[in-house]
Amino acid sequence: MANAKLEIIDMTKLYNNGDGVKNINITVEKGELLTLLGPSGCGKTTILRAIGGFNDIQGGDIRIDGNSIIALPPEKRPTAMVFQSYNLWPHMTVYDNMEFGLKLRKVPKAERKARISEMLEMVKMPGVEKKYPGQMSGGQQQRIAIARSLLLRPEVLLLDEPFSALDAKIRQQMREELRKIQTDLNITVVFVTHDQEEAMALSDRVIVMNKGSIEQCGSPAEIYDRPVSRYVADFIGEMNFLQIKGKTLAVRPEYVKVAPGKGGDLDGYVRTVMMLGHYVEMTMDTDYGIVKTFISEDESRAYHKGDPVAMTFSKQFEY
Amino acid sequence: MVNQKSRWKTTLVIVGMLAPALIVALGIVIYPIINTVIKSFQDEATGAFTLANYTYLFTNKLSRAHIWYTIWVTFLTMILAIVISYLLALYLRFSESKAAKVISSLYLLPRFIPVLVAVYALKMIIGDSGLINRLSLLLPEGSPLYDFKPGLLYNAKGIIIANLWFNIPFATMIISAALSGISSSIVESARDVGAGKLRIFFKMILPLSISDVMIAATFVFMSNVSSFTTPYLIGANHPMMLGVYLRKQFSSRNYELAAAVSVLIFLFSSISAIVYIYTNLKEKEWEKD
Repeated sequence: MANAKLEIIDMTKLYNNGDGVKNINITVEKGELLTLLGPSGCGKTTILRAIGGFNDIQGGDIRIDGNSIIALPPEKRPTAMVFQSYNLWPHMTVYDNMEFGLKLRKVPKAERKARISEMLEMVKMPGVEKKYPGQMSGGQQQRIAIARSLLLRPEVLLLDEPFSALDAKIRQQMREELRKIQTDLNITVVFVTHDQEEAMALSDRVIVMNKGSIEQCGSPAEIYDRPVSRYVADFIGEMNFLQIKGKTLAVRPEYVKVAPGKGGDLDGYVRTVMMLGHYVEMTMDTDYGIVKTFISEDESRAYHKGDPVAMTFSKQFEY
Repeated sequence: MVNQKSRWKTTLVIVGMLAPALIVALGIVIYPIINTVIKSFQDEATGAFTLANYTYLFTNKLSRAHIWYTIWVTFLTMILAIVISYLLALYLRFSESKAAKVISSLYLLPRFIPVLVAVYALKMIIGDSGLINRLSLLLPEGSPLYDFKPGLLYNAKGIIIANLWFNIPFATMIISAALSGISSSIVESARDVGAGKLRIFFKMILPLSISDVMIAATFVFMSNVSSFTTPYLIGANHPMMLGVYLRKQFSSRNYELAAAVSVLIFLFSSISAIVYIYTNLKEKEWEKD
C-alpha cells in the first residue's frame, strides 16, 4: 500500500500462560485513527505494547514507513505511547515533564520553550507549566500526557485506554479534542479501548478483536451495519438475538417496527415500557425470546404490559 | 456555649485517657534520661557538678579512638548496607526472573535469626579456624590458598560483615516498599520518550524513592551506633565500639563516665532521629495541594 504508515505483518506474541495474539495483520494509513476494540484480555493492549516496543514479539514484523522497528528498544522507536494512568512523572512540573523528551533530543532551550507553550495552547491548558501532576485533575493530566507525546512529533501515537479512568462527561470532551488535534496535525494514531461507543465516535477504522485474533476490520458504519459475526453484532451496539429453526436472527432495536395487534413478521406481548429520557425502550415477549425496540414517548402511550404487538423487521442479519 | 462546654469535656476525656501512657513514658523513659544526663555531669566522689567526664571522653586518647571507631564503623555499615540493599531492591523490583522471585521471598530470613545465634554461626564460618579455613586445608599443601586464614574476626571487618547480615534485609524491605510504589508506566513512559536505564534511575527512580532510602539509612545508623552484642562477641579489644566501652565502664563502676558515654550515644542517635523526622515531615513540593 502506498500510503501505509504502520504495517503489522503476521505478528505473533504469546505469553507464558498461552494468552496473546497470533498472526495479526494490520495496516494503518498516514493520518488515520485506528481503534483496536475488544473486551479485556482480547489482546488489543498486547498489540499496542508490541508496537511501542514494550513487548517482544515471537514472529512477524512491524514496520513504520516500510522500515522494520522490531529490533529497536522503546526509546529508539518513532512511536509515543500514552498509558491508561500515571503517565506523568509526579516529581516534575508540567514544564519539566514536557521538556524531558526534548532535552534528550538535544532541542535548544529557546525552541523547547516555544514548542511547549504552543503545545499547551493546543490542548487548551496554557499557564500550567509550574504545576505538579498531583495538583491537576485526571482529565488535565491525560491532556498533558497526550501533549507531551505529541511534542516529540512521533510517527505513530499509541493510546492505551487513555480516557477510561475519567468520568463520562470529561471522556466525551476529551474524545472530541483528541479527534480535532489528530485531524489538525494529521497524525497517525492507534487507539485501544474496550468502550464501543468511544471506538465508534473516534475512529476512521475499527478493528474488533476476540480472544487474540481479529474478528472484523472496517469503518464504524460498516461494522455497525454489517457485522460479520454474531460476536461483532453482539459487541457493537445493541442487538436482539432470536433462535428460529436452528438459525440465529439478529435485529437491531432501531430496525424493529411495532404496531398494536397481531400479524407482523413476529408477534409478541409487551413486557416492559421504560422511559429513558428522549426515547422509550420497550421490550416484548415472543416465542423466540425477548425483543427490544426504541419508540418515541408519544407512540409509547399506545402500549401497556400484556398488550399484543406486531413486529416487522426492516433489516436483519442471520448467523 | 453548650457546644464549648462539651468540647471542654471531650478534651478532658482525651487527656484522661492519655494520662496513663504519659505517666508510664515519664517514669520509664524521660526520668532515666534526665537522671543519666544529670549523672554524667557529676563528680564521682562528691557528686558535685563537673565537666570532667566529658573532658575525659573527648581528650583521652583511648576514648577518642573509641568514638572515631564507632563513627566510622557505623557510617561504613550504613553506606554499604544502603548501597547493597538499593541494588538488591532494584533487582527484585524490575527483574522478572525466577531467581528474583526466590530471593524476594527469602531475603528477610536473616532478620528472623537471633543476633547471638547468627554471630556464632558467622564465627564458625569466617573464623581463622572456621569452615573457610578447614576447606582450604583440603587443598594440596604448599598451594597459595592452603591453610587460608580469613582474618575477619576481632576487627572492624567482622563487625561490619555481621552488621550487614542484619541490616541488608531490613533496608531492602523499606526500599522495596518504596520501589513497588513506583508504577511501571512511569518507567515505561520515560523509556518511551527516549531515556536510557541510567537516566531513568537518576531522573525517575532515585528522586521518587530517596526519602525512603534516607529513612532506611537513619534506621540502620541508629541501630548500629549503639550496637553491643556483635562488637562484644567479635570486635577487637581496642578500639571498641561505644556500646562495649559503655559496658566496660559500667562494670568497672565508673557510673558517671558510663553516663557520659550513654549521653553521647544518645546524641548520635538523636541526630539520625532528627534526619528521620525531617525527611518524614518535609512535605515534598510535588505533594502539596
